[in-house]
Amino acid sequence: MTCRELFERLSEYVDGELSQEICQEIRKHLDGCDPCVNFAKTLKTTANLCRRLPAQPIPPAVAADLRVVLARHLSRSK
Amino acid sequence: MTDEQALIAASKSGDSAALDALVRTHQDRVYSFAMRMCRNVEDAKDILQDTFLGVIRSIREFREESTFSTWLYRIAANACLKKRRRGVHDPTPEQELSLDDLMPRPDAEGRKPEIPDWSGDAERALLHGELSARMESAIDKLPRDYKIVLVLRDVEGLSAEETAQAVGLSVPAVKSRLHRARVFVRRELADYLTGSQNS
Repeated sequence: MTCRELFERLSEYVDGELSQEICQEIRKHLDGCDPCVNFAKTLKTTANLCRRLPAQPIPPAVAADLRVVLARHLSRSK
Repeated sequence: MTDEQALIAASKSGDSAALDALVRTHQDRVYSFAMRMCRNVEDAKDILQDTFLGVIRSIREFREESTFSTWLYRIAANACLKKRRRGVHDPTPEQELSLDDLMPRPDAEGRKPEIPDWSGDAERALLHGELSARMESAIDKLPRDYKIVLVLRDVEGLSAEETAQAVGLSVPAVKSRLHRARVFVRRELADYLTGSQNS
């Protein structure tokens, strides 16, 4: 497996979505290729950091407007 | 039957209190998704309202073959796309991300690029609150078709299958877009943390 071939599969690798056979090929490549090891680590970190981005809380006025719009729709459709 | 399934069943029978409870449970999630997609309170508000109006109109057709939240994201994703088609909001151009362009390049003498492990630095920067804005900005630079996949999969935490259902793509297409989007965001972080996009 070349660096380029590994590069194409790395997200599936860090997400644990590849077969045992392909994972074995990837691990064999990673054993002798520090740049690919560090690329894989930092790609996994990127995905993990995305998951930890803070949610954007709904402003009270936006939530209140939503209630009004939905109530209006429900009263019309009765 | 879970509490949510009970609320869905009651909502299908026209119970407005149950519907209101469903909306309150999910409104923050939909708003956060909409804000991240369009970065504009007015547009996010429209997407939020369109999404829940869509829920009210079609809750009886929800067959529960997917989770309620996946179904909700599908409606919200459609609301985002409709907004784009109406030309109201389109912050990122349509373009393809090429893996060839995103892959770190060998140096002038053909040696493999230096790729430092900056994972620890990124964790520390996130803890100190420095990295979130940079990451949000990197996500905003993604072409929209890639951004929606990364936001659903990596930020909102949907599986590849759920993301595919939400955006109407095949699972392989989701994985392909996700990988390109992740590599793009990773390159932006590398630039911030090491001063080089080729690292």
